[in-house]
Amino acid sequence: MTMHGMRGLSVFISDVRNCQNKDQERLRIDKELGNVRNRFKNEKGLTPYEKKKYVWKMLYIYMLGYDVDFGHMKAVSLISAPKYPEKQVGYIVTSCLLNENHDFLRLAINTVRNDIIGRNETFQCLALTMVGNIGGREFAESLAPDVQKLLLSSSCRPLVRKKAALCLLRLYRKNPDIVNVDGWADRMAQLLDERDLGVLTSSMSLLVALVSNNHEAYWSCLPKCVKILERLARNQDVPQEYTYYGIPSPWLQVKTMRVLQYFPTIEDPYTRRTLFEVLQRILMGTDVVKNVNKNNASHAVLFEALALVMHLDAEKEMMSQCVALLGKFIAVREPNIRYLGLENMTRMLMVTDVQEIIKRHQAQIITSLKDPDVSIRRRALDLLYGMCDVTNAKDIVEELLQYLSSADFTMREELSLKAAILAEKFAPDLSWYVDVILQLIDKAGDFISDDIWFRVVQFVTNNDDLQTYAAAKVKEYLDKPAVHETMVKVSAYILGEYSHLLARRPGCSPKEIFSLLHEKLPTVSTTTIPILLSAYAKILMHIHPPDQELQSQIWAIFNKYESCIDAEIQQRAVEYLALCQRGAPLMDILAEMPKFPERKSSLIKRAEYSEADTAEQSAIKLRSQQQTSNALVVTDQHPANGATSPISVGELSLVKVPSMITSENDTSTDLSQQNGALSNVDTQPPSADLLSDILGPLAIEGPPGATVQSEHNAISGLEGGSDAVDGSAIVPVEEQTNTVQPIGNVAERFHALCLKDSGVLYEDPYIQIGIKAEWRGHHGRLVLFLGNKNTAPVVSVQAIILTPAHLKMELSLVPDTIPPRAQVQCPLEVVNLRPSRDVAVLDFSYKFGTNMVNVKLRLPAVLNKFLQPIQVTAEEFFSQWRSLSGPPLKLQEVVRGVKPMPLPEMANLLNSFRIMICPGLDPNPNNLVASTTFYSESMRAILCLVRIETDPADRTQLRMTLASGDPTLTFELKEFIKEQLISIPTAPREAAPAPAAAQPTPQIPPNDPAAILAGLLS
Amino acid sequence: MIKAVMVMNTQGKTRLAKFYEYLPVEKQQELIRGIFAVLCSRAENVSNFIDAESIFGPDSRLVYKHFATLYFVFVFDSSENELAVLDLIQVFVETLDKCFQNVCELDIVFNYSKVHTILDEMIFGGQVVETSSSEIMKAVEEISKLEAASNAITLIPKSASGWRSR
Repeated sequence: MTMHGMRGLSVFISDVRNCQNKDQERLRIDKELGNVRNRFKNEKGLTPYEKKKYVWKMLYIYMLGYDVDFGHMKAVSLISAPKYPEKQVGYIVTSCLLNENHDFLRLAINTVRNDIIGRNETFQCLALTMVGNIGGREFAESLAPDVQKLLLSSSCRPLVRKKAALCLLRLYRKNPDIVNVDGWADRMAQLLDERDLGVLTSSMSLLVALVSNNHEAYWSCLPKCVKILERLARNQDVPQEYTYYGIPSPWLQVKTMRVLQYFPTIEDPYTRRTLFEVLQRILMGTDVVKNVNKNNASHAVLFEALALVMHLDAEKEMMSQCVALLGKFIAVREPNIRYLGLENMTRMLMVTDVQEIIKRHQAQIITSLKDPDVSIRRRALDLLYGMCDVTNAKDIVEELLQYLSSADFTMREELSLKAAILAEKFAPDLSWYVDVILQLIDKAGDFISDDIWFRVVQFVTNNDDLQTYAAAKVKEYLDKPAVHETMVKVSAYILGEYSHLLARRPGCSPKEIFSLLHEKLPTVSTTTIPILLSAYAKILMHIHPPDQELQSQIWAIFNKYESCIDAEIQQRAVEYLALCQRGAPLMDILAEMPKFPERKSSLIKRAEYSEADTAEQSAIKLRSQQQTSNALVVTDQHPANGATSPISVGELSLVKVPSMITSENDTSTDLSQQNGALSNVDTQPPSADLLSDILGPLAIEGPPGATVQSEHNAISGLEGGSDAVDGSAIVPVEEQTNTVQPIGNVAERFHALCLKDSGVLYEDPYIQIGIKAEWRGHHGRLVLFLGNKNTAPVVSVQAIILTPAHLKMELSLVPDTIPPRAQVQCPLEVVNLRPSRDVAVLDFSYKFGTNMVNVKLRLPAVLNKFLQPIQVTAEEFFSQWRSLSGPPLKLQEVVRGVKPMPLPEMANLLNSFRIMICPGLDPNPNNLVASTTFYSESMRAILCLVRIETDPADRTQLRMTLASGDPTLTFELKEFIKEQLISIPTAPREAAPAPAAAQPTPQIPPNDPAAILAGLLS
Repeated sequence: MIKAVMVMNTQGKTRLAKFYEYLPVEKQQELIRGIFAVLCSRAENVSNFIDAESIFGPDSRLVYKHFATLYFVFVFDSSENELAVLDLIQVFVETLDKCFQNVCELDIVFNYSKVHTILDEMIFGGQVVETSSSEIMKAVEEISKLEAASNAITLIPKSASGWRSR
């Protein structure tokens, strides 16, 4: 029965097969391993045949999932056997069992080399196969030139040469620095003339690798590739044995077209024309036939041709031909072709102008969502997600919602996330968006992440006309018999805030709403109870006149939870009870939540993040480049600091937008801050230091001045001026006198200038503001270049510097008029007093014709400008590091939501901020250690030490430790670096930063620069 | 490149496993189990593709073909064309068929070493080295001849002890 005649092996295999269970199998295998071990102890007595048999047994055992460590040495030693069968086994087993770093391999290098350069072709093949499978560094060093020679040798048989080509490819892929391919272009071109298809196919694979690394060097191969393709696809000039189901070597055709996709374009008109003729032929000449194998082969070629056409950016006509073909494919019976049709359509979305044509197939794609094959359903989902825009969002999202109830569990999470993102991006109106999200929660509550419901709360809070609708809607859902806990959360939040808007409707009295919510309490987990408690407190607050019965009922609940073991619940119960009992004035604290600042959706951000390092043609990335619906304005260039850690200090700092995604927690932060204020009646006005950070969110959500006032109101209990805190405090900021649009992205210009010392700060059709800066220690000298771009003068020029408390700035006189085509220079002196991340702002206005233009521009006099890189020795570093033993001089934080980047890129980023990487100080290669000196007037130079520990498995988080001799500096620098690491270069709408500045400022205390800045930059 | 070639039966027993990037044996088994769990739940007449990224990590694709009691599974990255790899499975199976005349699962089980040899003539270090099944057969037959020649010398006198020692 066996052709190799290894009866012992067969018997062993059937023994293993006869084992009733895993235990028996293990016993049998242990016995065999023991036997093999024993036999090998006395190697001399073993015949070559026996050795071979035992080694195959080991390989078989290995395949079953058992470790066979002891056989390695044996396998390697067999390589040097003089006879074929032993050598063969040695090579095969070595390539299966050993990895490239295995020490034993070193023992074999000489033998392997002798086999490769020897005259025995069979040995050459064995050696090449093993080296090609393992591809180790030492092999590359000592064998690559020999392998190259084999490939080019005319005396070698094709059998050897094709293996040499792939062996070289493997060595090159694994060790591109060692395998020298200089001057290979000519040799590759020569290899492309090869008539043996085996060698040609292998050489083409090698060419793919070489070209993908550096296409410039291989231009000379391009016409030859086109010729090969022509020969195969058009002339069908191929030996019979390489015709596969009537298709001339589909593999070679595919590989050749792969090579062509690595060249950016084809310039030579003749070559280009020939290629397009061939491609045209492939596109038109392929039909779906009965034979599955023939179909697969011809479509392998066809899909590769499609990819090449897309790559070459063919004429529109050919593109629409491609889409038409794909449209045909997604409806055929053959599932593989449906699958690839959908996948390629998704790729095609990248090509401009074809979206409209693809949309014509929407109905068919939606049908594919119900395909019996889950692989196809996934592709359909990806495609629908990719092709969704304002015009078809409603249809697509509704289809997805419908599909959700029947979708497999493995797909539901992805499906609901995608539906939520699309609903947000392309909502035609907000009530539809609310409907969609509530349906999502209802149908797939388990798969709805917190981000999704936080986001809907945010929209409801920010849109007054939506509140009644949303409250009525969630009440409907609560009336249903079974309600998902996430629905309880979102309903509790919304009803707590807005149920009073429904009070006149039947079944919506405070009492009824309360009991509707309260009946859910026994069923929910401890994370939901705090939200319910807040809702109760808020409902109670809205009843006028007070309802004694309801009040005592709710107070009793608070009483009960006052001793709850869960700290969050307990705190809320205690606080709400205290607040309620203090009476009306304090109840203002329970007024509606203020509006959230507009910011980019964490969902969309998450989608972008998660796609960051996968396929380049991800549909989600496409999404982010497309225009979004106008219904939901999402702006904000400030990065959200991992939306899940709501109360980290960094986020609450004044210039930053506080986290409002976690609305649930906002209630608590909000309240606890108010409480804090209660106990310290002598509240300090916000200033640009740490304390103000804690007061941050309030200062930002309303105009800063107003908020401060309202706090005082609350504290002194003067009157119920509740309007101060509530949403109306945020005046629509859209109105702006500016009708002039800036050229380029103001925020990006600012960020660029943070890294360099000269460049353009601002530009519009009339004026350009350039900046040139010099920094020396804690001094800086900036020169503003105000250039008039027009042939008429710019008048009423005004430049005011809004200086943060930590800087001293002096701007020289700015002329009132800038003559036509002239540039004026205005020096600006800067002195750094203290560490702070606050930013100075240039309030710049001018008049041109009838246009009054006013812009607020951040000035790049930022923290890192006062840093000087310094190289420290290991000794200095560690002695300092140890002497700064802990907070507040040494701070450590785990930062999440980091923009994933390779370590060298992170090192460059730090270096560019003048924080100097000290290589080699940290033994762990995943860590970075850096040092710098900070200069300020109050403290002169202070050494700062930084250590960043990254997790190679999860690039989105890292641990950062900062140490310096000054606590404020440590903190500020830590926050500064953190901002840089989590920053996402978005392309924010221009309107975002500037309009906020249009806010009328009179009620801001003039002595409070930080508050001004907050107003400007929120 | 092709990352792995696996053959398993419909009960999930591995019949052949070859990984072109080194993986520890536990990891190999885990992947095989993961793949089998997906494969065995798939109906007939569906596509030959499954989502491999959840099992093999990013940039991996998987095609498989189901013949009688066996699944033939190839895992590869985006540098390969899916359908071309599917064709390759067909070539592999056709070659096995030529070699064993109407190949069945037992042929593969008991001719474990031969199947390896065939695969090595077809895929080399994760790249396709030969696509013509007659060329593959030629190479395999050459090797068989070599083996037979050397076995003829040693096998006959030693065969008795060989049986005893199994």
